[in-house]
Amino acid sequence: MRTCAAFAVALAACTQDVDAAWELDHDRVIAVRSTPSRIASGETAVLDALVGRKAQPPSDRDPDTASVVSPSGLDAALARPAGHWTVTAPPDDQLAPARVELGLAADAPVPLRVRMVFADTGEVAYKVVWLGEHADNPVVDPISLDGMDGLAITQLSVAPGTRIPFAVQLDDSYNINWLTSCGTMHDFDLPRSYLRVEPEDSHAGTLALVVRDALGGVVWYLWSITAP
Amino acid sequence: METCSRSVRFLAPRARLVTARFGEARRSRAGVTLRAYMQSGRTLVSLAVGVGLWGPAASAQPPPSADPTAPPPAPVITATGRVIDALGRPVAGATVTGDGPGEPVTTDRDGRFRVTAPAGTALVVSSARYASALASVTGARIDDVVLLELGTERIEVGGQAPTPAAGAAKLDREELQRLPGTGGDVVRALTAMPGVVNLQIPLGYSGVVIRGSSPQDSKVLIDDFEIPLLFHPLGIRAVVPAESIQSLTFIPGGFDVSYGRSSSGIVQLTTRPGSDTRSEQAEVSLIDGGLSAQGPIGAHTRYMFAVRRSVIDFILPLVIPDSVDLSLTTVPNYWDEQLRIDHELNARWNLSLSSVGTDDVFELLTTKEQDAGSKRFYTLTRFLRLTAAAKYHAGEWQSTLALSGMISQLNAEVGLYQRLNVTGPLITPRATVARAMPAAAGLQDVVWSAGAEAQIGYSHVDLAIPLERREGEPFPAYDPKDTTTTFKGSVWYPDYAAWSSIAASFDPRVRLTLGLRADYFARPSELALQPRGELQVKLAENLSSRFGAGGYRRPPEFQSEFLQKDVKSEHSSQLTWGVEYTPILGVRLQGSLYYTDRTQLITHNTDGSLGNTGRGTSKGAELLGMLHGGPWFGWLGYSYSRSERVDTPGGASRLFDYDQTHSLNAALSWKRGRWQLGGRFQLYSGLPFTPATGSEFDSDRNLHLPLYGPVNSDRAPIHHQLDVRVDYAWTWGPAQMLIYLDVQNVYLDRSVVTYFYSYDYSQRSAFESLPLLPAAGLRAVL
Repeated sequence: MRTCAAFAVALAACTQDVDAAWELDHDRVIAVRSTPSRIASGETAVLDALVGRKAQPPSDRDPDTASVVSPSGLDAALARPAGHWTVTAPPDDQLAPARVELGLAADAPVPLRVRMVFADTGEVAYKVVWLGEHADNPVVDPISLDGMDGLAITQLSVAPGTRIPFAVQLDDSYNINWLTSCGTMHDFDLPRSYLRVEPEDSHAGTLALVVRDALGGVVWYLWSITAP
Repeated sequence: METCSRSVRFLAPRARLVTARFGEARRSRAGVTLRAYMQSGRTLVSLAVGVGLWGPAASAQPPPSADPTAPPPAPVITATGRVIDALGRPVAGATVTGDGPGEPVTTDRDGRFRVTAPAGTALVVSSARYASALASVTGARIDDVVLLELGTERIEVGGQAPTPAAGAAKLDREELQRLPGTGGDVVRALTAMPGVVNLQIPLGYSGVVIRGSSPQDSKVLIDDFEIPLLFHPLGIRAVVPAESIQSLTFIPGGFDVSYGRSSSGIVQLTTRPGSDTRSEQAEVSLIDGGLSAQGPIGAHTRYMFAVRRSVIDFILPLVIPDSVDLSLTTVPNYWDEQLRIDHELNARWNLSLSSVGTDDVFELLTTKEQDAGSKRFYTLTRFLRLTAAAKYHAGEWQSTLALSGMISQLNAEVGLYQRLNVTGPLITPRATVARAMPAAAGLQDVVWSAGAEAQIGYSHVDLAIPLERREGEPFPAYDPKDTTTTFKGSVWYPDYAAWSSIAASFDPRVRLTLGLRADYFARPSELALQPRGELQVKLAENLSSRFGAGGYRRPPEFQSEFLQKDVKSEHSSQLTWGVEYTPILGVRLQGSLYYTDRTQLITHNTDGSLGNTGRGTSKGAELLGMLHGGPWFGWLGYSYSRSERVDTPGGASRLFDYDQTHSLNAALSWKRGRWQLGGRFQLYSGLPFTPATGSEFDSDRNLHLPLYGPVNSDRAPIHHQLDVRVDYAWTWGPAQMLIYLDVQNVYLDRSVVTYFYSYDYSQRSAFESLPLLPAAGLRAVL
């Protein structure tokens, strides 16, 4: 959004700001997680989501409804025992028809595409759970928050009007999002980001880091943040 | 009505391109009609100039005879007339001499004269600065006599010449520079044309959309040859400054067979030939600065050279706030050049060499992090076109041989994964021939023309891009890793064309032109025959009507169309009807109606490949009024348009992306002494867009996938604005100085270009043009 300013000099101007992609104070599904991200036959993964709501801190949520979009014939892999949505990988002989349907190699993992609905806002989200091989969600370490070890703290207090650097050591294969409901985030989708709390910004809220890897894994970290 | 079809040549020794023909006698209040028959080769101009003859040409009259069988002597009458120049200004002090015994008379300050002579007496009108012209005494009032300046290389027909087709218009350099709100820029001047979609930013790669179709459906030609783009990517300026342009001809449709490869309209720019006197010019504005030079080399050669460089790259870093996450690693900058050399080899042959080139680059990172490749946006666009032409003119024959070559390079890179690199040469030989006969086969003013050309291109292509967006398709979610379309290799795309037409007058009031164009697009192996014709009927002295019909093709060469050999050309069948009315000298009114049926439109198939399943229609009306009189220049244009299409058989009808219902332009400029003042009012409909109704979240790609309503079912609001321009000229030592200020949208009306959405499509915001866009510049001519 703000990059429009440069082009505005020559072409046009952007007006009436919309919420930025790093804004946590907004109704949104931030990420859906399968734990683990890939499961071998017989293994079970649990689905949950990180959800943001306006004027509320983000929280873990279970989707209200879920269904299998594709491939056909694997609907039974999705279930909701004990209030959590789970996916159980069927035996390899049941995955074979799905591989044929999707045009996959004989030993390739099968993507089970799940559609989820969050009833309070009507939001729809999709998540792929990979069946036929095992992979865990990524772990991010270290996380640097204003020079501190992010894994060792749960709260962060920053000075208003100053550049507060955040950093992780991940390459371009990862999808990285720094999100906040306190201050203005810069370079929110780069490994090195920074926050500046301007006078017109909210001075208290939540800082979130969401990281996705190339295998479908996802992990998030949350901190409460203030700028007194 | 009687006519004389005898061709004579004006006595102007340097009016090489002009053949004057006492061909279409007409009794007009102004008495002056300049007819430009752009029949062939686009460089072939046969100007037929009726200078108020009424009855047989004077020099063809037999001398008085004592033969008793001869008709009785003609009655002696007293007649009045007026002598004007090509711009309609009175010529004082001109000598009017009859072929009888009477004394010559001299025109007064209003160019008027009075003679007493027998009816049919031939008059020779001469003046020191002008070539002599002929007139005859036919009644109490002699139609206006036009004198052409000696040394005139081309007649500035301006708004007085008949247009190439119904609804067409032409602006010369001075008019381009007088039009307020354009900053003297060609692209912005085009938006004043009725039929051109008006918006504050250039549209599409060509920068112009005509009659509601798509940008790629129209062609932009410079000196008869296509250029790959008309404007710099940032949309600030056209690649050719108005100072280097002789004229801009806009043909919204119904053009003749000498134009091809377009299913909609043509924009023809003619570069400026050098003058007979040497001069140098420098100009600087807030956007760019340029130098130009022109003059003679010996007695038979003239040159014009111009170069321009942006200065916005010096200004831009100063105006971007430091708080913006932006790194201009290569600040937007561009170079433009134009060269034209004309050489008169002999009385029959003229040679010319011209080139047009541009080099435009910028690179930015949407972050302060200089090593963040995922935030990189880079474009490089450059082309150089060089054209050599030889023009032959002797008697009834004219011919042009031209060879044009172009090298071009387009590089665009976005983030880490997406790129588009296209480089390659293009060669275009062309030959045209025409014969203009006073009479043949019982017909009058017969003009036969023919031509052929080849356009042979070779491109090395390396692309990795998302599935391209076609007309009407809503914007997909932006995925920086999406490289659905990839190709690396070389492509030949030779196209060939030949055409012929014949035009003739069956009656002084009725003229018919019939032609056939054949294009062979070699890559899809497609032969396209396109018959075209036009009927012109003179309804009254200053009122004529034109009806045109024809077939047109656009070859599959837009975006990645040429990568699929089974994609054929798009078709259009155009019907145009128009009227032209010149109530007085300097005032021209014209109106036109059009209907275009479009078939074989290229659309996406369900599997993402391209096919020719679309069809559509465009219909509308256009009005244009022009005023050239004394210090005044006026312009009034209005267009109504409706363009709809269906993308797949049985699919829903929808509007074209660039359907603009109403567009009004009214401009008035006044020039007196050192000052020139002007204003322009614009009012136009917003463009259609497809509203997003929500989204669904793809967590693995971290993308919100938009959900859209019906295609182009919503429309941006109507916009109106007032632009003003002030010029002041003075002499400073040996230099002629000019300073100007051109301000767009002086009362700050909001102009919504379109809407953009938040990342999850839950919020919408207007994308507006700048509320106020001033352009100021300083010019010095030595």
